[in-house]
Amino acid sequence: MKTLMKWTAPIAFSLAAAFLCAADPAAKDEIRVVTTLTDLADFARAVGGNYVTVRSLATGIEDTHGVPMKPSFVPTLNRADLMILIGFDCEHAFLPALLEASKNPNIQYGRPGYVDCAKGITPAEIPKSTDHSEGDVHPYGNPHYMLDPVRARQAIGTITEALIAKAPEYEADFKKNRDAYLAKLDSKITEWQEKLKPLKGAAFVSYHGHWFYFAERFGMVYYGTIELKPGIDPTTRHIESLISSMKADHVPVVVREPQFPEKVPALIAEQTGAKLIKLPIMPGGVPHTETYIEMMDYIVKSFVEAVPKK
Amino acid sequence: MAQDEPKENSKTEKLPDDVRSQLTEDLKPLIEQEVERRLKTALEALRTQPDAQGKPQDPATQAQLEELNRKIDQVIEAQKKVRPGEFNPAIGLVGETVFSYRSRGSSETGSDRPGGFDIWQRSVELNIAAAVDPFFRGYAVINASADPVTGEAALGVEEASLVSTALPWNLTLQAGRFFAEFGRLANIHDHELPFVNRPLALDQYIGGESRTDGLQLNWLVPVDHYISVTAGLGDGLGGDTGPNAVGDKRGFSELNFWTRISTYFDLADDWQFETGLSGFINPRSNGRADLSPDTVQADGSTITETRRGLVDLDFKFSYVPLQNNQFTGLTWGTEILYSHNHYLIDPDGSLAPVNGGASSGDELSIRRGALGLYSYITYKWDRQWSGGVLVDHVEAADDRHDITSAYSAYVTWATSHWNQIRLQFTHTEHNPLSGFKDDKAVYVQWAWIIGAHSHGWAQR
Repeated sequence: MKTLMKWTAPIAFSLAAAFLCAADPAAKDEIRVVTTLTDLADFARAVGGNYVTVRSLATGIEDTHGVPMKPSFVPTLNRADLMILIGFDCEHAFLPALLEASKNPNIQYGRPGYVDCAKGITPAEIPKSTDHSEGDVHPYGNPHYMLDPVRARQAIGTITEALIAKAPEYEADFKKNRDAYLAKLDSKITEWQEKLKPLKGAAFVSYHGHWFYFAERFGMVYYGTIELKPGIDPTTRHIESLISSMKADHVPVVVREPQFPEKVPALIAEQTGAKLIKLPIMPGGVPHTETYIEMMDYIVKSFVEAVPKK
Repeated sequence: MAQDEPKENSKTEKLPDDVRSQLTEDLKPLIEQEVERRLKTALEALRTQPDAQGKPQDPATQAQLEELNRKIDQVIEAQKKVRPGEFNPAIGLVGETVFSYRSRGSSETGSDRPGGFDIWQRSVELNIAAAVDPFFRGYAVINASADPVTGEAALGVEEASLVSTALPWNLTLQAGRFFAEFGRLANIHDHELPFVNRPLALDQYIGGESRTDGLQLNWLVPVDHYISVTAGLGDGLGGDTGPNAVGDKRGFSELNFWTRISTYFDLADDWQFETGLSGFINPRSNGRADLSPDTVQADGSTITETRRGLVDLDFKFSYVPLQNNQFTGLTWGTEILYSHNHYLIDPDGSLAPVNGGASSGDELSIRRGALGLYSYITYKWDRQWSGGVLVDHVEAADDRHDITSAYSAYVTWATSHWNQIRLQFTHTEHNPLSGFKDDKAVYVQWAWIIGAHSHGWAQR
């Protein structure tokens, strides 16, 4: 029992010291927002203005499904007022464990601080089966709706609602910020639609299934993925088959997301004569794409330059 | 007369009722989905575009649209009766088979598996988890593993535990049977290890997994830096701790106590360092064994553990590139354990049951310390491929001169997230005093998962 006491003293001292240090320096009126991805952080900053501090778990270069579970995220999540996420199980590989470790009841699933931006988004590509023979499928449907700026508008609305619910006294300012941002975004949407009009019907492939909503919005043809199935690397047979059909259908573009190795996309581009382009899947994914609008500008410009003029 | 005339859509009307209703049922979700999709698209178009004259929509129309939008959202939400990862309860099954060849028989290695060729269904693990109520979640891990002697599947409850989800002050309480938070690899299951077998030091000092029937409290220290503190008490710690002797009245000091403090540092965006210090004590372990001598030594004396203590320092240094961590990474993990136990030596062996189990007055109490450690490096060079080396070193808890060392190399091929095959070579060196001989072994471990699986915090 003496040994137990010997152990207890330093532990008790550590705990007491920790309590004394526990004064929260960030405990002001600001709403502490944590987002999983950088596009959500951009929107939260645009709408929240000076009333929010925003931190994104991802920096922009990560795979949307593979943000590392760093323990350094835990204290941030522990103090968060709002946890804003993409939803449709996009973050299933890292967010549930982080939320549990955060010990913050306000941002758990179903609580007001848990802001699922998939609310109100009609999903596409809902799998007929969630069996793993189909790979790491998303049971609710394709979660990469942020690459469609019109659906992104819906997410901005959800974020605004959450901020108003958290701080109704700032409702007018949040709405004003939202409207200002949406006006800017709408003008860009018109611009992007104009620029991509000549590309209507142009086909492309990508490594992972990020681009369904983008292609649908701008009238392009999402030809297929280099991955065999979601989360499953391509087999030789799949690559051969893809090359063969791309050649037959004259698919002009191969998209590589920075999170995936270049080797196979480059090989496919070389074999088919398609242009290989590297595109971000969230702001910060490549240099000079720090905001959502900058990212979409970059994506649109890259497609316009890559698809041969008719 | 008009009633007798065929209508344009009469083909569908001629279908038998059961076929029609079946078709309707099959198509219902698709139709609903398509209606929702079209409505949403139309609404989005209306919201984003001014009307034909370029005038903004009047507030009444806007309000109606928003109301309609809300109702559609409610329909969509209602369809999501459960989250897919959380069928109630979430159920998953893990299978693990180990094929091996060892150069010596078990009598020469001390293994509980036969030497030579062996195929062992090490585990068939059923995982069940769900929220109990708004304040607690519960989970159970039922394992059926093959008995080494009979080959029969022995069913056991590895874990069955209740975990709080809504305690204030950053606290989490866990109760029941669970793997205590002690060290780094003692509280994860065999199939989650980065190599085939649990390190020797964990096997010898803890008894494999840190299983306990107990109570554990975890506190996330409310500061900007990650610090986690855990303390617990339980009826034993580890797989080899037997139940209390029937009929005994147990004192508080006969329970097992453990604690752990861990922290983490971001060395750079892609480089991480995590470390922890754990302590364990069973102040009166002889109460558990009812003073029965555990080991008869070569000179006929007996040695009985009377107090058990363990300190564990662990660290993990890892390269987890933000951009492509699914395809490359490096982990260096090390755990150093110091065992400090008290023993009762009985020179004439009178305490042994065969000799009547009575004290003859010549018994003496001694303290013995022993060191154990393991260190491994795993490198991942592809989404499917990783490999590494493991070094093991352990001194027997009751005799630090009895040293066992092992050197392993392993390669893992993960065909997917749920299916992996691992090849491992291990060379084990025993101290001649132990009576065991050096041996070599080749293992092929095949582990797979079906159903629900979690990316848990402990496995990060």
